[in-house]
Amino acid sequence: MLQLVMFNLTNGLIVGAFYVLMALGLSLIINLSGVVNFAHGNFLALGGYFAFMLTPYIGFWGALLISPFLTAIFGYALEKLIIRHVYMRNHIYSLLLTFGLAFILQDSCRYLWGPSPLPLTIPDAMSQPITADLFFVTWYRVFMVAVVTVAVAGLFAFLRYTRIGMRIRAGTLDLDTVSALGVNVAMLRSYNFAVGSFLAGLAGVLAAGQIGLNPNMGDDLIMPSFIAIIVGGVGSLTGTLLGGLLIGVASALTTVVYPAASDAVIYVIMALVLLLRPRGLLGEEGMLT
Amino acid sequence: MVQNTLFNPINRRRLLKAGAAIGGLQVASPFIIKARGETPVKIGFIDPITGSLSALAVSEVEGAKWTTEQINKNGGILGRQVELLVEDSANDTGTGVQKAHKLIERDNVDVIMGDVNSGIAYAIMGVTAAKGVFHIVPGGHTDPITGTDCKWNTYRTCNTTAMDASAVTPELVKRFGKRWFFVTPDYAYGHTLQDNFVKRLKALGGEFDGDMLPIAQSDFSATLIKAKAYKPNVILNNMGGTAQINCMKQYVQFGMNKEMALGGALFEIESAKAVPKEAQAGWWCQEWYWQNPAVPAVKTFVDAISPAIGKKPTARHWMAYVSIHAVKLAAEAAKSLDGLKMAHALGDLPLPPEVSLMSGDIRYRAGDHQLMSNIFVGEMHPPEGDPDALFRVEATVTGEQAAGSVADTGCKMVYPS
Repeated sequence: MLQLVMFNLTNGLIVGAFYVLMALGLSLIINLSGVVNFAHGNFLALGGYFAFMLTPYIGFWGALLISPFLTAIFGYALEKLIIRHVYMRNHIYSLLLTFGLAFILQDSCRYLWGPSPLPLTIPDAMSQPITADLFFVTWYRVFMVAVVTVAVAGLFAFLRYTRIGMRIRAGTLDLDTVSALGVNVAMLRSYNFAVGSFLAGLAGVLAAGQIGLNPNMGDDLIMPSFIAIIVGGVGSLTGTLLGGLLIGVASALTTVVYPAASDAVIYVIMALVLLLRPRGLLGEEGMLT
Repeated sequence: MVQNTLFNPINRRRLLKAGAAIGGLQVASPFIIKARGETPVKIGFIDPITGSLSALAVSEVEGAKWTTEQINKNGGILGRQVELLVEDSANDTGTGVQKAHKLIERDNVDVIMGDVNSGIAYAIMGVTAAKGVFHIVPGGHTDPITGTDCKWNTYRTCNTTAMDASAVTPELVKRFGKRWFFVTPDYAYGHTLQDNFVKRLKALGGEFDGDMLPIAQSDFSATLIKAKAYKPNVILNNMGGTAQINCMKQYVQFGMNKEMALGGALFEIESAKAVPKEAQAGWWCQEWYWQNPAVPAVKTFVDAISPAIGKKPTARHWMAYVSIHAVKLAAEAAKSLDGLKMAHALGDLPLPPEVSLMSGDIRYRAGDHQLMSNIFVGEMHPPEGDPDALFRVEATVTGEQAAGSVADTGCKMVYPS
């Protein structure tokens, strides 16, 4: 039983790392733009489909490098053309807009690539477990954790040490002052949206290698991302990181005792957090107003 | 002039009036007949075109559309063209029920078909029974539909979970052993399927463990960790759609294919084509398969439909094909599209081989409205020759053998008086 628990704890951390990647991109967009991007899961799917198209020409590694950038460009264009028009409006507009975009993107994927699941071929060696004992830890999952670690470290470094990153962090706290200081807030939001989309696209390529592609793949992953943000705290990227890991572990451990509740447990955690500490584990008070 | 009260001769005025009336009928009646002929026979088709079962649903819809076109080319049903109205249930029960209401109340369909998702099919059955609309379930497998909750207006084309479990269990026990681990979706289909497997396994002295998981589960590592610890002879993958695909992939990635056998009720061709070669394995049932040299009508069907759909047809195409033809046969037998008359007519009506696409006496059993079709038990394998040649049939079980008696199903069919 102890071995089962330890195995599932390890497995939960791996799954949670993946939620972290999705949630960070979403959190970036929420923090600066105030837009709850319901289409974020579909950006994930797009990233996966871009990789599917590119793999026959440039291989898995080339597709892994290029697809997130393509998703970022797509996100940038979408923000410039459509999403920016609802920033000054009531939040309900952005919710409805991104909700509608989610359906459009999903149906577009279905139209372009068909409704049937498609496989994304990963290098054979990565499908093997790292040891016989740790049979559920394949080299691909180790690779996923490594990529997520690098991406998260890269994101934090970007936000801390680059000019744009510092402006994004400042804008999260007080966008009016940042604007008054002469920063082009419109461009800042566009770049921020692109970064968030990049992370979604990267998550999409990684997910596609694990679970394959289908037009609905984003739907199953968007809710854990939202919950990771709520649990960790809106406005806190570190909180989002913790939230993602926490729900991944909780879901995996629940499977040991009551598998049918493995999905429901993350909602229970969210409810408890909202009741006991509404700002989240590391969030700041008033971030949602 | 004396009027003869016993014999009333036709006078000129009466003759002229009669003649005018007959002449008027000749002009008017074609309008009536023509108007009736212009009104299409409407079939409402509800399936989860979006969601984790979409690949299966799309195959059913493809089969339904093609079959409708063929029937219309050959004069339609009762001389009327058939109009297929397809609605997406989005793999959600509430949506499916809403669509059923819309098709019946707004679109005035004559027949309802659907859903791949057993829970939605069951819920739609409640609507069609209340409204008295003829309903065929092409591909929803949960037992109560033609079992304990059977309804006079509902027929089912695909197997029950009891039939599938009954067909494949002896083969799995004989080949691999009696210690099983179930990976099962936590909804109507999964519950009845696992219950039926457990009943048959226990009867053979077997033991089991397993997990019930959400229908759209994508990560199975925690469950597979448990399965490995249990050390079963066979792992039964009862999931469907993309969930089944992901489970198969992870089963192979974790190297479990070297330690235990794999099997279950259904591993549909749509799902098999989406997994890596190593995961195209295991022992399963197919409800219909395109390679069947014993039945010439199968080759005719395959040759006709394959160019239209761009691939070989699967059991889902077959389910829709048989269901739509069943409506035609029932309507022609009843000489009516009235639901009650069709329901009476279809029970025990033999399906010709060009409709059943199987050998033997294939019919919808009158006692429970369940199609008694053959079940093909065999092994999935990577493609051999043709990219769609994925399954080798090792045994054929008749529907009656697998289903047992009507009394066994618990169905007590009651028709309205």
